[in-house]
Amino acid sequence: MTDEELFAQFRATGDLKIRNQIVEKYLYIAAVLAKKFVGRGVEYDDLYQIASLALIKGVSRFDETKGLQFSTFITPTITGEIKNYFRDRSRLIHLPRKVSELRVGLKKLSAEIFAETGRKPTAKELAEKLGVTEEEVLRCSEAGGVVSLDRPAGGEDGRSFHDLIPAEDIFEEVENRDAVNSALSSLSQAERALVSYRFGQELSQTETARQMGISQMNVSRMERKILQKLRETLNKSTVE
Amino acid sequence: MNEIILEFPLQSAFHTTARLTTGGICSVSGLSFDDAEDCKVCVTESLILLANKGFRRARVAFSGEKGLKIAVEGTNKGEADSRNQEDEISAALIQALAENVVMEKSENDIYKIVFEFGLTK
Repeated sequence: MTDEELFAQFRATGDLKIRNQIVEKYLYIAAVLAKKFVGRGVEYDDLYQIASLALIKGVSRFDETKGLQFSTFITPTITGEIKNYFRDRSRLIHLPRKVSELRVGLKKLSAEIFAETGRKPTAKELAEKLGVTEEEVLRCSEAGGVVSLDRPAGGEDGRSFHDLIPAEDIFEEVENRDAVNSALSSLSQAERALVSYRFGQELSQTETARQMGISQMNVSRMERKILQKLRETLNKSTVE
Repeated sequence: MNEIILEFPLQSAFHTTARLTTGGICSVSGLSFDDAEDCKVCVTESLILLANKGFRRARVAFSGEKGLKIAVEGTNKGEADSRNQEDEISAALIQALAENVVMEKSENDIYKIVFEFGLTK
């Protein structure tokens, strides 16, 4: 059955099974459009739900005899519903605290200016009133984007964002190395030399003492002191 | 406002650059925050549409005294992608969000999309 026949049959009978068949066929439009509005503070799932409801309403209103393609007819309908939702009750998604706070401030201020003046504010006005730069306001509006990890990352190899995320242990390794390097920088030259002999070259305390021209007792004492110092530095950086 | 031209390879990697530039110019033009967001959607959709038509580069021209007029043009034509269904949605979305939308065609294929924002503020 062609689309025209389906719509005609639905209009004639009002059969919900036919309506659902049409809705299922065009549900991809709701998904495509919902994605276009991600990044404005409303989650994709919510947008998809609104778009789907608009699609259902649109199927009932569409007149196939007017020669318009359904996708052309339904896109402005769904877009309108999504925009209405933004106006009514958009809410925040998970963002870094500073960006989240700025978004809250932007939304609140926008509403206040609109209530006072009857017009929507510009990014410049918002920036001035919030004491941030225009760039921050604009970047903040970019920051809300939710991107699927399955989405292609844009490279020629077609790999998704998920494919590009390194395994967790690689992150840990990098973090550990960074933390140790940072802690070692707090040691004196002699202490760093001792660490290098003992833990880099894995020399014994006696061999280390010989290399450094000090007694084995001194090496032992220095080692305890160094380990204590490193432990404190690393604990401190973990807490921070 | 003097005309501002942005030219770049038509690759998705440059979409954010185009969006941020658009957002900045919208701000200079005095568009509302919401209009600027819609304007960015239209620029992105135009770029996707032109990329699907096979264009390798894009030229986005911003101008206008009252409001903002944007012309997104494809250059360096190559092989077209056949995802026509999504192209229709992109075109309809631009029509739904922007004012005075004109899709210029050559041999039945869109090569330039012109639209305006902020005329009715």
